[in-house]
Amino acid sequence: MTEAAQNAIELAIFQSSVHSIAEEMGAALRRTAISPNIKERRDYSCALFDRQQRVIAMGDHMPVHLGSMQLSVEAAVARLALKDGDIAILNDPYAGGTHLPDITMVLPIFVEGEGAPSFYAATRAHHADVGGMFAGSMGTAREICQEGIRIPPVHLMHEGEMNQAVLDLILHNVRTPEEREGDLSAQIGSCRVGERRMKELVAKHGLTKLTTLSTELLAYSERLMRAELRKLPAGTFAAEDFMDSDGITDEPIRIAVAIALDPESGAASIDFRGTSPQVAGSINAVYAITYSACFYVFRCLLSDEAPATAGLMQPIAVTAPAGSFVNAQMPAAVAGGNVEASQRIVDVLLRALSKAAPQRVPAASYGTMSNLTIGGLDTRVGRPFTYYETTAGGMGARPGLDGISGIHCHMTNSLNTPIEALEYAYPFRVRSYAYRSGSGGAGEFVGGDGLVREIELLDDAQVTLLADRRRFHPYGLAGGAGGAVGATQLEHADGSVETLAGKCSIHAKRGDVVRLETPGGGGWGVPSARAKSTAR
Amino acid sequence: MQMRIAIDTGGTFTDIVYLNEGKLAVLKVFSTPADPGKAVMDGLAQLKPSGDVVVRHGTTVATNAMLERKGARVAFVTTKGFEDTIAIGRQARPKLYDWFQPVPECLVPAELRFGVAERVGAGGELLRGVGEEDLQRVCAAIAASGVDAVAVSLLFSFANSENEAKVAAALRALGLPLSVSHRILPEFREYERASTVVANAYVGPKVGSYIATLANSVARAYPKGRLEVMQSSGGIISARIAAEEPVRTMLSGPAGGVIGAYKLARLAGFDRIIGFDMGGTSTDVCLVDASTGGPRISNESMITGIPVGVPMLDIHTAGAGGGSIAQFDAGGLLHVGPESAGSDPGPICFGRGTKPTVTDANLVLGRLDTNRFLGGTVSLDQERAASWMDKAKVSLASVEEFATGILRVIETSMEKAIRVISVERGYDPRDFTLVAFGGGGPLHACALARALQVPRVLVPALPGALSAVGILLADTVREYSRTVMRAADADLEEVFVAMEEQGHAEFRMDGLEGVAFRSVDLRYAGQGYELNLPYDAETVNAFHALHKRRYGFANEQRAVEIVNVRVRLVAAAEPFEPVRESVVEGDGAAALVGTRAVYFDGVELETRLYERAALHAGDTFAGPAIISEYSSATILPPGDVVRVDALGNLVIEVHG
Repeated sequence: MTEAAQNAIELAIFQSSVHSIAEEMGAALRRTAISPNIKERRDYSCALFDRQQRVIAMGDHMPVHLGSMQLSVEAAVARLALKDGDIAILNDPYAGGTHLPDITMVLPIFVEGEGAPSFYAATRAHHADVGGMFAGSMGTAREICQEGIRIPPVHLMHEGEMNQAVLDLILHNVRTPEEREGDLSAQIGSCRVGERRMKELVAKHGLTKLTTLSTELLAYSERLMRAELRKLPAGTFAAEDFMDSDGITDEPIRIAVAIALDPESGAASIDFRGTSPQVAGSINAVYAITYSACFYVFRCLLSDEAPATAGLMQPIAVTAPAGSFVNAQMPAAVAGGNVEASQRIVDVLLRALSKAAPQRVPAASYGTMSNLTIGGLDTRVGRPFTYYETTAGGMGARPGLDGISGIHCHMTNSLNTPIEALEYAYPFRVRSYAYRSGSGGAGEFVGGDGLVREIELLDDAQVTLLADRRRFHPYGLAGGAGGAVGATQLEHADGSVETLAGKCSIHAKRGDVVRLETPGGGGWGVPSARAKSTAR
Repeated sequence: MQMRIAIDTGGTFTDIVYLNEGKLAVLKVFSTPADPGKAVMDGLAQLKPSGDVVVRHGTTVATNAMLERKGARVAFVTTKGFEDTIAIGRQARPKLYDWFQPVPECLVPAELRFGVAERVGAGGELLRGVGEEDLQRVCAAIAASGVDAVAVSLLFSFANSENEAKVAAALRALGLPLSVSHRILPEFREYERASTVVANAYVGPKVGSYIATLANSVARAYPKGRLEVMQSSGGIISARIAAEEPVRTMLSGPAGGVIGAYKLARLAGFDRIIGFDMGGTSTDVCLVDASTGGPRISNESMITGIPVGVPMLDIHTAGAGGGSIAQFDAGGLLHVGPESAGSDPGPICFGRGTKPTVTDANLVLGRLDTNRFLGGTVSLDQERAASWMDKAKVSLASVEEFATGILRVIETSMEKAIRVISVERGYDPRDFTLVAFGGGGPLHACALARALQVPRVLVPALPGALSAVGILLADTVREYSRTVMRAADADLEEVFVAMEEQGHAEFRMDGLEGVAFRSVDLRYAGQGYELNLPYDAETVNAFHALHKRRYGFANEQRAVEIVNVRVRLVAAAEPFEPVRESVVEGDGAAALVGTRAVYFDGVELETRLYERAALHAGDTFAGPAIISEYSSATILPPGDVVRVDALGNLVIEVHG
């Protein structure tokens, strides 16, 4: 076969094979994990890396993990001399992690006769609890040490043997050790699936050929991205947006970005200078989160089949000033950076891009995952319970298309818990679950509506909310109106109503009803254009 | 005497399979898409059966109504405050990285969603009854809306059906077809249940009138005849039930394929199979293991993006078919599928298309007969294919190289699909036999088996009509379920007995006697997924063991709960004892009709061509060879050895 055929066909097959391995790792993890967060909400990712720790394949899992997995592998390799049979574990946001509940494992894949790893397999899963001052480890802390156990890159497995000391140390610092141990075992199994399958590929094709193909795959991805960047106009496009507050002071947090596009060389640089300093509350983003958001946005410019490899980011430089809200440093608390800051960073990037390519970018989506945690004693069974869920909102309108109502966008895609499952599991009665009519921004194309959910508490409980977009609307584009901001109320049994802040933790009584209204998406285009088109 | 005839509607042909002196026989007539029943009656007329004719039908009417979104205008009635849940679904988007994905259209538009103020709690307690005035208001609004059908699904209706029954009774007065959740799917998870009930209402009027008309035609032509229908779970139901619960027929034809592949493979001595059915736009794969109870049933299927919770065979579909289009992207990578040329414009070689497809690639490599495609209904233009492929091959040296690449890429996609149903579910493909059918299955089976290290390929007799074979041989089955959410040691006798009585009564209406099989869905308390196990004294132990096998761990200390109880009522089909030919060792020379140059892995080899109909039991020979038959061809690569067994199956030993 000619060399050209080698490129087009061998590469297609290689890409498909490694992607299928990453998917298979994910299936193994989902099948063997215990906690609903992994099994049902599917908050995990699996990926493969080349010898230089560049990602060559990632399963279609959680967008917020795009790009940031690579930083975990780099950190593990930098800190540890990994040998055959080792597995590194880490969650420290200041050493390759994102926020503490996300625990990553890295397995070096050794091919016989090679002194160094030829590939790496890694899995990341969101664990339901990693200790700290709040059950669920997602509360309103003020420094990272309050958020749970920090694990720097360390050996969990040593040449095939479990490092029991490390495992015990972790399990002694979490609320549900049995569940954690099960989920960690599932992650080990998933890494092993990646190792076994990669070794099968090596046996079939030989290491030299696979190494060449890996490099080719990265070069191909880079070509794809450069081809796309060549279609965008030259110039620097700046934008800003705000988060309401960090939940401790009322100060808005500014996120600013300037995207410089260079179509001539097919490159882009993204600069977050001008962003607010890191804050006292728990919604700071570490660099990994910011990098993931950039990866996500530029990956979406490509077609659906484009492989999520490190090559895609080769032409793109990301600058985030250390100590700023988008590159927080010790000892900032960061639990909410993953879920809240990440969405706003995407909003800002889209706003800047819309100035370069107005026809290719949607208006702002709901922009907050409305993380709701309710904990207390379930008197029906006499056992404590902790409920955690995110609620979707409205998607921003697209040029040519309305936004979708009540759907997760951008950095998450977790499923909701069925109402009937919820009422079996917790002392709740759901009173309504509906579209929040009229919350989508007006426009030639309207933003999607948010959702309304009312939960009546059948027992006293602690209610913790981590939500944003209570002051700053999801923006519209091209003359479209912004989406409605979110709101939360607590209706007491006596009929009085209390408005809750976006970020709060309160004691609620049996009979109280939590009413959550999530933001709508922004509109696109001037509303009068829609009126005209309907009139016709 | 009773004569059973299976008739399966396909895209091009309607296949009629029946037993002729102990052997399966097939008759193919052209399908009549505007009125599929016409082809059914045409086929029967040609066959001229006598005696008590039982027509068993595989229909695509329900599936097509869903695919084309041409179902009824449906009103949806649910608990007040939850009218939108049918549209919100699970709040997740189908595509992660596509900002321009279309706005999903709910089968029920907002103005046809109605709420009744009522409530049942998780324990089945009636928290709020249905108010007469409220009910009359909803009935009046629905009457005024001009809908064709009504679907009702109230919260926790499976735990206490009193409110729902009351609502249904009032709605019945409207005289519209009515689908009610506690009758169709009394299981928890409100969205999936409601979606199933709405889907039933949506396809109901179409399927109902189709079945009624066809049943009448059959009755007119054969006074003692009757019509039965294949359901998605692989069991037969009466025409009456199919018309009432058409949602059970969504995978009617594909389910026939699975049952056919499984039954024929077992007769040939193979108990663990992977079914591989490749058609024009997609490939269906399934895994059946006799040692774990036969065909796997899923209660979580999606049909065209809509969850349908009634039992269906676990069939996985990949967008890889003969019509899959090959093209290079901006980075120079070759993609094949999921975009398909379909039948219009179709592959280049059909005469109208201009984009290279898998069928074009097979043709230019010498792997297809130009005059026998789809039973000779389409003649293939090799020159046209080669000329357009030459323009599309970019930097590749030759059309053959391009075509070889297309096949390798599409076979990788099909390999992925098989991995999903095997490796990802804890099975090792090396323990299985690949059963190839459909027009394209036998073309690609050996290459695929090699890639997956599957040791053996079986191409059954009649690979192009296997769905009809399965429909002919299937048992009659009725499935009942109910969510109970009880501790594992709860007394469920009453629930089971009630379900069995209902089942026996329904069977008697159709003159049937059935055997009931009890099973339960269990999980560790608090888990989100259940495992189904037979219900007996050993159920809980068996659950721990299965959990361990499937998920790698078990915890005998942890509380186990029973989520759903299930009864499967089965009236077994008459056993099929096929006539076995005597085996005479031979080399197939009598069936050799010529040779042709064919490309294998980029190398051109002189390849022997055999006519399958002329082969005999005991014939054994090695590749490279092509074995042609009506509507399909088996590619035997160099090194692989085929043997014709006593039942006329091709059994191929694949050498890795």
